[in-house]
Amino acid sequence: MSMSQRVFITGLGIITSIGKNADENLQSLVTGKYGFGSLEVLETVHRDSLSACEIKLEDRALSEQAGVPLHEGFTRTSLLGLISLQEAIQSAGLSPAEVRTSGLISATTTGGIREYETHYYELMDPKLRGDFVRFTDTATSGEHCERMADHVGIKKYLGTISTACSSSANSLMHGAQLIKNNKLDRVICGGTEALSKFTLNGFNALMILDKQHCRPFDSTRSGLNLGEGAAFLVLESEAEVNRKKRTPIAELKGYGNANDAFHQTASSPDGAGAFSAMQLALSSAQLQPEDIDYVNAHGTATENNDLSEGLGMKRLFGPDIPYFSSTKPYTGHTLAAAGSIEAVYCLMAIKHAVIWPNLNYKNMMPELGIQPVTTLRQEMKLKYVLSNSFGFGGNTSSLLLASV
Amino acid sequence: MEEKATYFINGVGIITPQKTFDREVFLSEISQYDKNILTCIAPDFKAYINPIQMRRLSRMLRIGLSAATICLRNSKITMPDGIITATGYGFLDETAKFLKELLEQGEKQLTPTYFMQGTSNALAGLVALTIKCMGYNNTYASKGVGFENALTDTMMQLNENASLNFLIGAYDEAAEIQYNASIRASHFKTEFINNLSLFDTNTKGSIQGEGSAFFMLSGKSSASTLCIMSDMDVVYKPDGRELQDALDNFLATNSLDAEHIDVIINGVSGDVEHDAVTNTLIRSRFENTAQTRFKHLCGEYTTATSFALWLGTSILSRQQVPDIVKVQHWNQPDKLRTILIVNQYMSKSFTFILLKEFVETQ
Amino acid sequence: MNQNVDELIVELRAELIKQLNLEDMLPEGFDENTPLFGEGLGLDSIDSLELVVLLDRNYGIKLKDPKEGRHVFQSIRTMAEYIAKNRQA
Repeated sequence: MSMSQRVFITGLGIITSIGKNADENLQSLVTGKYGFGSLEVLETVHRDSLSACEIKLEDRALSEQAGVPLHEGFTRTSLLGLISLQEAIQSAGLSPAEVRTSGLISATTTGGIREYETHYYELMDPKLRGDFVRFTDTATSGEHCERMADHVGIKKYLGTISTACSSSANSLMHGAQLIKNNKLDRVICGGTEALSKFTLNGFNALMILDKQHCRPFDSTRSGLNLGEGAAFLVLESEAEVNRKKRTPIAELKGYGNANDAFHQTASSPDGAGAFSAMQLALSSAQLQPEDIDYVNAHGTATENNDLSEGLGMKRLFGPDIPYFSSTKPYTGHTLAAAGSIEAVYCLMAIKHAVIWPNLNYKNMMPELGIQPVTTLRQEMKLKYVLSNSFGFGGNTSSLLLASV
Repeated sequence: MEEKATYFINGVGIITPQKTFDREVFLSEISQYDKNILTCIAPDFKAYINPIQMRRLSRMLRIGLSAATICLRNSKITMPDGIITATGYGFLDETAKFLKELLEQGEKQLTPTYFMQGTSNALAGLVALTIKCMGYNNTYASKGVGFENALTDTMMQLNENASLNFLIGAYDEAAEIQYNASIRASHFKTEFINNLSLFDTNTKGSIQGEGSAFFMLSGKSSASTLCIMSDMDVVYKPDGRELQDALDNFLATNSLDAEHIDVIINGVSGDVEHDAVTNTLIRSRFENTAQTRFKHLCGEYTTATSFALWLGTSILSRQQVPDIVKVQHWNQPDKLRTILIVNQYMSKSFTFILLKEFVETQ
Repeated sequence: MNQNVDELIVELRAELIKQLNLEDMLPEGFDENTPLFGEGLGLDSIDSLELVVLLDRNYGIKLKDPKEGRHVFQSIRTMAEYIAKNRQA
C-alpha cells in the first residue's frame, strides 16, 4: 500500500436481525439481545427444524422504511441494502451533490434468488404475464446495486463483489483502493443479503448448519446459523475530510486479501489463508501483531472455520493473542454482508470503548488453548482492530480499522 | 498520487462460440447459429484439466479453467500474484439446477454440488486451488461493468507495484434460465435469425452469447507481450451530453484525434435502439475510421468487453484483421498501431479501451 | 425388496459412478473392497455428502451425523452391508 491518501470512514448504516438501524444494533449488542429464532417471514418446509437470524419485517415494511413503492421489483436484498445505504448517507451528512460524485461498491451472493425461487415457474414461461415480471432480471448479483444506485443518484462508479462470505470486506478494500488511486474522493461500500430457501437448503446440504444457537470457538460447536442483513460505510479521502472539517468515525488503515487454495468449501486445517490475510492487513498498515487490540473473528462456529481461524491467529500473534470474539451468535452468518456488518460493529466497539462478547461460549477448544471474550467489556481503549471474513472459494480477507 | 503504470497484456486464453481457443487460427473458420443462442466451441478439456479434478466441474467451470490454463501457458507465468474474475449472471445453469431440485423435491434430499458450483467466485477459487495461488483473489459480478471493475482493480494494483502479474478473466454462460426470463425485457430477439445476419435486422433484442476469456496483465513487458492497454473508462447511464463528453474526455486525456486511431472495435449488438446510440457516438468523432464489430460471432453477454479486448489484442499482435469482423470492406493499412474499443451493454454502460501496439525497445 | 449384499454391490458401483462422475477415473483393480476415501479412490468431503443423499434417496436411510459416514462409506462392500441391514423399503 502506498504512502498516499489515507482513507477515513465518515458514515455508516446497518440493518440486521438485531436492529433496523445503527442505534438499535448498538443497543442489542450491549444488552446481549440476539436475532436467532424461528423463521416467520421466509416460507420454507424447514420452519420447524431450522432456525435463523431473520429480520422480522415483511417486504412491505422494508419498502416503507426504504421509501420505495412495494410493487416496483425491489428484491428483499436490495431493500435491505437501500435502507442501510440511506442511513450511511445521512450519517455522513452527504449533500446530494456529494452523493452524485460518490462511487457505490456493494456485495451479495444471492441477489434476487429469493424472488426467483418464489416465482420460478412463472418466470420460466415467456408467455405468462403478471406482477412477477418485475423480477425478470434479478437473478444476477449486480442488479441490486444498480437499483440502489439509481434510487439515490449514484452513477460515477458502480461495482458488485461476489466472493461468498468475504464479499463486503472486499467491497471496502476496492473502495479504499479507488480513493488511494485518486479515482474518487468518496466511495460508499458494503453488502447485503436476504435469507432464501436457496441458501438455507444449500448450507443444509453441506451439513454445516446448527439447529441450535451457534457456539463459535467452543469445542462442542456444530455449525453456523444463517442470518440476513446489510451494512454500508462511507469512505472518504483525507483531502475530503480536511476540506469538510468533519471528524471521521475511524480510519480504514489497512487490509489484506489472500486465498487459502485448499478446497472449494473448506478452509485449510493450519489456517494458512487466515494467517496470510491478517498478516497482509498488518503490513499494509505498517503495524505489528502486538499493536492489535481486538480481533472481530469470522467465527462462524463450523468445526472447520474456527479451528482454521484459531490456528491462523495463534501463528500470527504467538502466545499474546489479543482480545477476540465472534459476533455471529448475535446476527447469524450474513454471508456477503458479514464483512461490512462486522466492520460496523468494530467501529461501534472503537467509539464506545467496548468489546462485544462471543455469546454461547463455554468449552475451550483443546487444539487452540485460547478463549474469546465472553462478557461485555467496557472502558476498553481500542486503537487498532482487525475484522476477519473468510469464504467459500478460499477467499480470505481482513480489514484493519483504527481509531482517530 | 500513484504513478500510472503501463499495462502490458502478456497472454490470453479464450473459449467462445467461435474456435478461439486455438492460437493457430484467427477467426478463419466461422461457426453459424440460427436459434439465437450461441454456445462455446470447447477444446478437449483433458489437454488442460486433470481427470480427477474434472469430474466435479460444470461445463462452464471446465471452460473457464481451460481458458485460464491456456492464458497461463501462453504468458509463461506459472504463479500469478493475483487472480480476478468477472461475470454478470454467474453460473446460472448450476444455480437453476439446484433451484429446480429444491422446488421439485420440496426442499428435501438435496446434494450440495450444484449449490457450490453456482457461486460466482467458484472459478476464481478453482483456478487458485488448481495452481495453489494464495495471492489476491476477487470476483466482480456487476452486470455490464464487472469485467471493467476487474480491469480497474488490476490497474490500481499494478500502479502500486508494476512487477506484479495479474490473471484476470471473465465468464458468462448462455443459461436457459436467463434466456427464458430475459426475453421479456427485450434482451433477445423474438424471431430466429442466423448470427451472421445480426446487423441486417431492424428489431429489438440481440442474440444470447457466452464465453470465457483470460488475460495476463503486468506493469512489465515480457517475451510474451501481445500489446499495451493504455487506458480504460466506463460510463454508466449517461444523460444528455454525458456520453459524448465522456468519449471526448477520454480522447483528450490520451491526446488522441481520430487520425491516431487505426481501427474501432464497435460493440453494437444488433438491437436497433441500442445500436443507434453507439453508432451515433462513434460517427461523431470517427466518421472515416475503419470499423470492426464482433457480437455476431459471440452473441451478447455482460462481459463481452472481454471478447473485444481479445480481438483488439489479436489484431495488434498479429497485424491482421479478419474479414468477418470488418464493417463494410476496407483495406488493411500497412501498420496497425492503435485500436479504440467502444463497447456497450444494453445502452446502460459504455466502455472505452485504448490499445497500443507493443514495440520492443532495445 | 430383499436384495442381497452382492446385488447391492453391483447396484452401488453403478450408482457411484453415475452420481460422482467417476467414468474415466476408476483406478486399476478397483473393486468393492477398494477404500473410497483417502488412498484408493480419493473421494473427499463433498463426495461423502453426496453419498449421504444417495443413501436417503435410494434406500430411505437417513444418516444424521456425517461422522457416522466414515464407517459406512469405507468401501462399496461396507456400504452394501450397511444398507442391507438398515434400509427402509
